[in-house]
Amino acid sequence: MSVLDVDNLRTTLNLNGRACHVLRDVSFRVAEGETLAIVGESGCGKSMLAMSIMGLLPSVARITQGHVVLDGHALEKEPERAMEKIRGARIGMVFQEPMTALNPVFTVGAQISEPLRDHLGLSRRDAREAAIELMEKVRIPSAASRYTSYPHEFSGGMRQRVVIALAIACGPRLLIADEPTTALDVTVQRQLLDLLDHLQDEGRMGMLLITHNLAIVAGHADRVVVMYGGDVVESATVRDLFRNPAHPYARALLASLPRVDRDLSELASIPGRVPPLAGLPDGCRFKDRCPHAMDICEQMPPPTEMPGEAGHNVRCWLHVEGGEHAADG
Amino acid sequence: MNDAPETGPPPRKVRSPGWHAIVIGASIMVVVILAALFAPLIAPHDPYAQSMLARFRPPSAEYWLGSDRFGRDTFSRILYGLRITLWTALASTVMAMVTGTAAGILSGYHGGRVDRWISAANDVLMSFPQMVAGIIIVALLGPGVTNLIIAIAITTFPAFYRMARSAALALRERDYIDACRVLGYSDLRIVSRHILPETMDDMIVIATLWLATAVRTESSLAFIGLGAPPPAATLGGLVREGFDNLLDFPGLAIWPSLAILVVMIGLNLMGDGLRDANDPRTSA
Repeated sequence: MSVLDVDNLRTTLNLNGRACHVLRDVSFRVAEGETLAIVGESGCGKSMLAMSIMGLLPSVARITQGHVVLDGHALEKEPERAMEKIRGARIGMVFQEPMTALNPVFTVGAQISEPLRDHLGLSRRDAREAAIELMEKVRIPSAASRYTSYPHEFSGGMRQRVVIALAIACGPRLLIADEPTTALDVTVQRQLLDLLDHLQDEGRMGMLLITHNLAIVAGHADRVVVMYGGDVVESATVRDLFRNPAHPYARALLASLPRVDRDLSELASIPGRVPPLAGLPDGCRFKDRCPHAMDICEQMPPPTEMPGEAGHNVRCWLHVEGGEHAADG
Repeated sequence: MNDAPETGPPPRKVRSPGWHAIVIGASIMVVVILAALFAPLIAPHDPYAQSMLARFRPPSAEYWLGSDRFGRDTFSRILYGLRITLWTALASTVMAMVTGTAAGILSGYHGGRVDRWISAANDVLMSFPQMVAGIIIVALLGPGVTNLIIAIAITTFPAFYRMARSAALALRERDYIDACRVLGYSDLRIVSRHILPETMDDMIVIATLWLATAVRTESSLAFIGLGAPPPAATLGGLVREGFDNLLDFPGLAIWPSLAILVVMIGLNLMGDGLRDANDPRTSA
């Protein structure tokens, strides 16, 4: 059973009267206990996707099509009041920057207790006990005595543990981790990702792991969604994607990873840059940087196809039967 | 805010920079407030008791600061005047602080149209000099202590509004406020628990400073005859009464003026001290 089902989602940004689709027909599922990685460059719509799911889009953005279904329950039309009950309780979120995600004037314990009291209605004493338990669960040493510490007394890694404790406090069904380890050093990264894996198994949560680090994807995700310019260009199991990337962008991303068994004197890169929000092209959004661009790419967004194995979707004209001639009718 | 070192001599006690000013200002205000609170016990005479036999007495053992043209004891009237003046200043400042902070946070946090409208209204209010606005409002509402309080509160409102608005505007952009939203806290919860407490330091500092201004406004309005109606004694009213006989009996105007001065010095010292102590640029 899937925890999260994003179906044909389109989010539109209103820029001075001009509509631009920052998410275009995005579909994917996250099953119970599954980790789905979302990868892509900065500006490809990863965070916009997270905010669309949470119902926290900026006022100029709106979901204009499709559904976000959490546990069989559509969220996109829910009023703000109802979303407040879902956020923090049934969807948890871990941020990129642990240094600023905590309020500096409250103790760590008070901050972990707050969602417990707000969402679960625990008493002050029960919330305190539950908060200490949570701190132990995220492996903060001597949790009980750290309860009254302030965020500035914690290191970055420890603060991120607090942020994780906050995210899982109410036993969410879905955990969104938005680049959870980008700001931390590599050893701490490893510990925290292992911790997230462990917590996820324990709570049978679905996890959406937003990252641009393919090494993390290989080690910690079950399936991957590759995004580019607001499109899901490819989705597959991790194994499938790393073995047979089908979309030119996914191939280029993988090719740009430095490998131990290759000559490292020159690193592969993708020419050009991500199109700006205001200038997102109508057809394929990768066409300007794609070595295989054809006429049709200019004219129409490619459909999503499943050329190879089941569950491996690609959105590219190269993989459409007779795609080169589709424009002629 | 580093961890304290494990070894070495204990750190010297650091006093915040506004410390002396706070102590002196607070001492003055404690004396003034006690004098006002216990006026009935301290005052040697009934401040309203007239005596035709004791008009315009010079300072003496019986009339410490002399008496006025109705034979009322000036010292007693100053003590009672302090009560009305302080109460007016305190009530109006608290009223302005509560409404100004609430409106400012609403404006800054909510933004958009709400912010534009409240800010525009506030700008209109600010375009009047404080005295002029006070005169207009008292003239509209009529005399009386309650109306005086409302008038001073309205003229003080912009100071609190602008401060709270800019604080809320800055805090709204913090990551941890976004984190609050992600945790599903309602706007009310975010504002009351995570924004309001952080603005309170600033609000209390400016409240102390504006308390002094409120005393001044009250005295000025009383001086031009828009204060509490007679026979009530207020400091500004006493100065005005004394003004009529300024050349013959200058003490009648000078003593209450000095009382106003003392209150102003006390409040300003406290306000400046609190501001310095609260300012991260000047604290050690």
